[in-house]
Amino acid sequence: MPFLTQPEVDDEQYVLTCSLDNARNLSNILKAIHFKDHASCFATNNGLKVTVENAKCLQANAFIQAGIFQEFNIREESVVFRINLTVLLDCLTIFGASAGPGTPTALKMCYQGYGHPLVLFLEEGGVVTVCKIHTQEPEETLDFDFCSTNVLNKIILQSEGLREAFAELDMTSDFLQIIMSPDKPYFRLSTFGNAGSAHLDYPKDSDLIEAFHCTQTQTNRYKISLLKPSTKALALSCKVSIRTDNRGFLSLQYMIRNEDGQICFVEYYCCPDEEVSEADV
Amino acid sequence: MYYRREYTKAQGSVHLKQNLCILINMKCIIPGRHTKVFGKAVHSLSRIGNALWFDPLEKGLALRVVNSSMSAYACIVFSPHFFHSYHRSALHEQGAAYAEINFKCKYSVKSVLPVFRSLSTLEKNVDKCTIYTNVNEGYMNFQLFYRNGITKTHQLAYEECEPLQAVFAKNTCPNVLRIQPRVLSDVVVHFPSCQEEITLSVTPLRVSFKTYCEEELEFSKSVHTEMHLGPEEFHYFQVGEDAEVTFCLKELRGFLGFAETTSSYISVHLSKAGKPVAFSMENMFFEADIILATLAESEMGKSSQKSPGIIAGSKLCTPNPGTGVSNAISLSENIDSQQIISTKHGNAEDAQQDTVEETPNHSPYNKFCTLFFGAVSSQTQENADRMFCSLATASEDEDEDLCHRRLSQTF
Repeated sequence: MPFLTQPEVDDEQYVLTCSLDNARNLSNILKAIHFKDHASCFATNNGLKVTVENAKCLQANAFIQAGIFQEFNIREESVVFRINLTVLLDCLTIFGASAGPGTPTALKMCYQGYGHPLVLFLEEGGVVTVCKIHTQEPEETLDFDFCSTNVLNKIILQSEGLREAFAELDMTSDFLQIIMSPDKPYFRLSTFGNAGSAHLDYPKDSDLIEAFHCTQTQTNRYKISLLKPSTKALALSCKVSIRTDNRGFLSLQYMIRNEDGQICFVEYYCCPDEEVSEADV
Repeated sequence: MYYRREYTKAQGSVHLKQNLCILINMKCIIPGRHTKVFGKAVHSLSRIGNALWFDPLEKGLALRVVNSSMSAYACIVFSPHFFHSYHRSALHEQGAAYAEINFKCKYSVKSVLPVFRSLSTLEKNVDKCTIYTNVNEGYMNFQLFYRNGITKTHQLAYEECEPLQAVFAKNTCPNVLRIQPRVLSDVVVHFPSCQEEITLSVTPLRVSFKTYCEEELEFSKSVHTEMHLGPEEFHYFQVGEDAEVTFCLKELRGFLGFAETTSSYISVHLSKAGKPVAFSMENMFFEADIILATLAESEMGKSSQKSPGIIAGSKLCTPNPGTGVSNAISLSENIDSQQIISTKHGNAEDAQQDTVEETPNHSPYNKFCTLFFGAVSSQTQENADRMFCSLATASEDEDEDLCHRRLSQTF
């Protein structure tokens, strides 16, 4: 494994240093939430959480736990900064994004603290690239207050069962309607577009469904334009957990296995369309 | 005059038949192994035109498509053997004088395509596909049952619009070739994707496909491709008279996309420049045809290419309703609609003979009209007339043209 042998830096001055043998383990998971230019990063002892939000209705979180990194040192209780995610991804994939047969790109990422840039050292085949990305004032992120005790319905299914459905979503429909119910139709995804409607029904005993815990029939509509970006996470994941709480809020948790077989999670929260949920409740 | 330029590319127009208003409820079940074939048919037809007709007939479910310039018509009729089950029940509309009633069901291809989007998963994962209509609701339902238990239901609103059918008696063509679709695909693939028309010429010794270019100017600039096939390449080879026809390639490519998936032979029927060329295939599951208008002789001859007449010629060749109407009129004088229907209902020979006999009389029109369309069922000519206007999108300018030509060409 190639590794950065000579970072010309003194680790002492950084509040956050972490290194990865394979930068794709970070870049792939960040791609799953890359639907806006800017992201907030939170680092704690447990690892790194990157958050992207849209329209105050959707939040996506990528969790890269400390164990994924070969080295993860943090000198403060928590480190927070905002960064241009597009630029960060461009830098991480500066030696090419595809999983080629060659040696992986090694990464060392350092942050000196508030007001300093995020410094990336990327090395592939003896070539080292140093990237300094300006960090921005951290912004407050949304608190969806999605609490597992309020969850009414939960379905865990293999991602392949949803992949086609999301890839083929009729984007002329304003919303995606999700029905979760202990009775028929159990789990139904519907769109109502220009050409007509489309319904996708999953029986609860399907091989694709690993867990089916629905206690109450819920019909909620979610803006399709907000949910569509989650297709990226879906494409990378092997399993997905779909949960709705008593307010109709939707949580999609994707289990993603990286190239080294480690498990990471990406989570999407989405608010329901208000009118329908009110009528429904 | 942007639109004019566009139109000069088209090769002919079309004469259409029209249907009565009819209500038919249809329900068919496609077994899993055939779902991909059906999906492939929809994909192929989508490459030919934007509007897709579902026309449930007694002999099977017909999918029809006409391209926007009405120079190409394709139809695939899936026989009841293709389906696990195929039912249609006709509801006679009050006041309808005819027993045969057709269901008018037109879709934008864009709305049907998503149902069959992923062909590879269709084959692997779909157990069966059910298509059924409920006329009262005005929806057609497409239901895909996946092996893993998922059910996908598409409820598509359709537009009530008359289906069309090309009137072309291919049996009268002196030249008939039968060939593996694979061979044709292999030929066509060598033409660049921007190539709009190709010329097919047949002699008793060989068949050749070559690039067609409109003007000599283009000739020097463009890549010229020519491919020859000997008679031994064909399963059946009958060349009664030498012929050279030029037709559009894009639509043929679409059709071959479908033909390739089967091992049935493609029959090519052609007579001469200006007369349509037909590619068809038939097996126990379906009959598929594409009829393409060809460029009229006057435009293909080198002498006329040089003469200033070319401008007028290519103008006339536009696919606007004018040419269709003028031909419809001339056709109505010669063949009454009864005979056109008889073509469809099996009493074909009479009608065909008629068509042949009348052909010489139409020769002045050959330059600009090469493909006739007819009603699927009988209709007065007056109605057919109206239909041309509604089906072709003509600008105001062309309407004037149309009137002008109508006047000048009716004698």
